[in-house]
Amino acid sequence: MRNVKFKTLAWASVLVLLIIFIGRYWIERGLDRVDFLDTREYTIDFVDDSGRRVKMEGPANRIISLYSAHTENLFALGLDNQIIGVGTSESYPVEFLDKPMFDYKSDPEKVIAANPDLVLIRPFIERKQPDFVDALRQSGITVVSFYPESQEDFDTYILELGLVTGREKMAERKLKAFHEELDALRELTKDIEPKLNVFFESSDVELKTVTTESVAARAIEYAGGINIASDAVAITKGSTIAVYGAERILEKADQIDAYITQRGVMGAGGNLHTISIRPGFNTIKAVKEGKILEINQKIISSPTFRQVKGTYELARFLYPEIIDDISKFNTDENLNRVDAAELFVRYDNRPVFAPTASYYRKEYDGHTYGMFEDVPSSFERFDFVETALNAGFMEGFKRREDAEDIEYFDVEGDLTRDEFAKTLFLFYDLVPMNEHVAIEDISDSENQKIIQSLVDHGVLELEAGNFNPNRAVTGKEVISALEKIK
Amino acid sequence: MKRFMAMILLVTLVLAGCASGPNTDKSKRAILVVSFGTSYSDTRELTIEATEQAFVEAYPDYDIRRAFTAQIVIDVLAERDGIEVDNIQEAMDKLKKEKYSEVIVQPTLVMNGAEYDEMAAVVEQFEEDFDKLVIGNALLTSHADYEIVIEALKAQIGELAADEAVMFMGHGTHHFADAAYSAMDLRLKNEGFDNVYMATVEGYPLFEEVAPKLEAKGINKVTLMPFMLVAGDHASNDMAGDEDDSWKVQLKKMGFAVDTYMHGLGELKEVQDLFVAHAEEAMNGEGHAE
Repeated sequence: MRNVKFKTLAWASVLVLLIIFIGRYWIERGLDRVDFLDTREYTIDFVDDSGRRVKMEGPANRIISLYSAHTENLFALGLDNQIIGVGTSESYPVEFLDKPMFDYKSDPEKVIAANPDLVLIRPFIERKQPDFVDALRQSGITVVSFYPESQEDFDTYILELGLVTGREKMAERKLKAFHEELDALRELTKDIEPKLNVFFESSDVELKTVTTESVAARAIEYAGGINIASDAVAITKGSTIAVYGAERILEKADQIDAYITQRGVMGAGGNLHTISIRPGFNTIKAVKEGKILEINQKIISSPTFRQVKGTYELARFLYPEIIDDISKFNTDENLNRVDAAELFVRYDNRPVFAPTASYYRKEYDGHTYGMFEDVPSSFERFDFVETALNAGFMEGFKRREDAEDIEYFDVEGDLTRDEFAKTLFLFYDLVPMNEHVAIEDISDSENQKIIQSLVDHGVLELEAGNFNPNRAVTGKEVISALEKIK
Repeated sequence: MKRFMAMILLVTLVLAGCASGPNTDKSKRAILVVSFGTSYSDTRELTIEATEQAFVEAYPDYDIRRAFTAQIVIDVLAERDGIEVDNIQEAMDKLKKEKYSEVIVQPTLVMNGAEYDEMAAVVEQFEEDFDKLVIGNALLTSHADYEIVIEALKAQIGELAADEAVMFMGHGTHHFADAAYSAMDLRLKNEGFDNVYMATVEGYPLFEEVAPKLEAKGINKVTLMPFMLVAGDHASNDMAGDEDDSWKVQLKKMGFAVDTYMHGLGELKEVQDLFVAHAEEAMNGEGHAE
C-alpha cells in the first residue's frame, strides 16, 4: 500500500515536471510580464514601437545604438559621451568612427560584455534576430525599439529618445529648430508658380513610390512640389511604401516635370542612366528634359534631423533659379574659400553629397568626408564644403601633427586664380587648342594645361602678359567667368 | 583459383562501373550561361539577357539556364527585386537533379581569370553526374578572339583625330589573366589604333599609369568607354561619375576634354555571337575541360 502511494507520488511529480518542461516557453513569456512585488519607482514608462512596455528608473548613460538613424539622432542630442557603441551601417556624423561597432547578427555576448544600460534597436531587428534581442533582455539590459514609419511619428520618436537618454529639453529644442527650418523653406516655396509635378521613385522593383504620410512626401510638399503619385496606396497597413508601376507613371508621362529617385543600399530606385533607358520612359517630360535627381535615402527617408537637408535639396533641384541664386556673391570683395565652395555648388546646382553606409569602408587618397578640422558637421556650410570637395571643385590641405595627417580646408583663405582655373575647367567642355597664347608666369603651376586652354579660349584674361596665378579672385570675377559658359 | 577469384572480382567491378554511369535523361540538354551579374535591371536586359537570347536562337534544342558568379549581386536581386538567380553550385545542382544528360557551361566573362577558375572548380565537381559536361572559354582566349573583338569595337571607336584618344576601362585582376588587357592594348596599337588605350580599375595598367601617356602624346580630347560586359556600377561611377575620384573628373582636372560612352561589350552582337561560338567549340571538344 505504501509502495503504491510512493509510486503514484513519483509519477505525479514526473508528470508535473514534464508539464512545466513542455510549457516552459509560455511560462517564461508569462513571467516576463509579471512584476513580482516590484516596488521600484519608474520615472520612465512608455510603450515602444515593438509594442513592449519600457520601464526605466532613470535615463541611460551607457548606450549602444544598433540602427544608423538612432546613432545619428543620439549625436544630434549631444550624447557623444553616452554612446558606447554603434551598429555596422552608420555613415553620419563622422564621430561614429571613434565608437566600437556591434553587429546584431553576431554574438549577443559581445554587447552584454560592453555593459550597456540601454540598447536601441528597431522592430526590424526584433523580427530578424529575436534570439539576439531576447538574450540582451534576459541579461537585464533595457532594449528599446523605435521606428517612426511616418513623418507624423518623428516628433514622438525624438521626444522618447530624449526621454530615455535624459535629453528631453535638448530634444524639444532640436525639434523646434527642425520645424522652424522646414517652415521657413515652405514659406520660401509657397508662392512659387508654376509648381512642378514630381514623381518620387523609392524602389525600381515594381516601380514603388511613397505614400502621403511618408517623410519624402512631406519633403516634396515643403519644397514646393506637387506629388503626382498622391493617390498611391501603401503595400501594407502602416507602411509608407506603395507600388505604383510603369503603366501609371507613363499615363502621366507628359505631366511629370521632375523625377526623383531615392538611392541607397536596399530598396533603391534606378539611377539617371537606368531610368532614361527604360522602355517608354523617354516619353516622360522630366526624362526628356533631364530633370532627374538621385538623392541619398539617408537624407530623404531616414528618420533623422537631416530630413531638413533632404527637403532643402528637393527645393534646390526643383527651383534652382530661386533657391540657388548666387547673386549675393557678385561683389568686388575677394572670395574666400567657403564662399567659393557655396558659390560653385549652387552655380552647378550640384546635389549635396551624403555618404552611404559603405563610404568609410574604403580609404581615400585625398579628402575623407567629415575630416576637416575646421569644418565640423555642425558648421553652417558644412555641406557646401564637403560637396565642393566631393565634386572635385576644390581641394583641401593636410599638415603633419604627432605623426598624423590633419586635414583642413582653410575656410577664411582666399581663392586664387590658379585654383579657380581648375574649377572653371571642370564646368566647361573646352577642347584644349594646339595654338597657344604665350603666358609668362605659369611654369610653376600644376594646372598649366588648364590655364593655357582657358586663356587660349578667352575665358580668362592675362594681365600684361601674366596670369598671376596666386592672386585672389573676387566674387564678381568668378561669376563673370562662369557666366561666359552660358 | 586465387587468380580466378581476382578476375571475377575485376569483371564485377568493371560491370558495376559501367552500370553506375550517370542516371540521366538522354533527351535533356542545357547550356548554362554564367555571368558576373549586375543589379542594374536595364543594362542587364541589353547585355546579359541579350547574350542569353543569342543562345536561345542558336540552340533551340537546348534549355538555356542562367547563373551569376557575384553572390552580392544575387543577394541584392533576391532581397531588393525578388529576382531569384542561381549561383553556379545551385544551377549545377538543379541540372543534376533534373537528370540532364548534356550540359555546356558558357561563361560571359572577359578573360579566363579568377572568376573563371572559381566557376570551373565548382563545375568540375559535377563531372560524374552528366554524360557530357564541358566549359566554354571566356571572351578573350584565342588570337582570333582579340581580332573579332577589335573588329566589333571599330564602329564605337570611330575616326580619331591626332589629338583625340579613347580610353577603355577594364576591370583588371590580381590573376595572371590580367595580361589580357595589355595584350589587347598592344593588339589595338598594332591594328593602327595608336590613340586607343586600355586601363584597368584594379589590374595593370592602372588609370594612373595610362593617363600620363595621353599627356605625353599631346592628346586634348578623351572618350572613356567600358571594356566590361555591362555598363554597370563601374562604368556609371568609377568611369563616368561626377565625383572627384572618377576617371572623367580626374582627366578633366588634368586639362583634357572628356566624353563618355555608356554601352557594355555585351551589347555588341559580335560579342554575343563570340560567346555562342565558344560554346560551340566546347561542344565539339575544343573547350576548357571535360
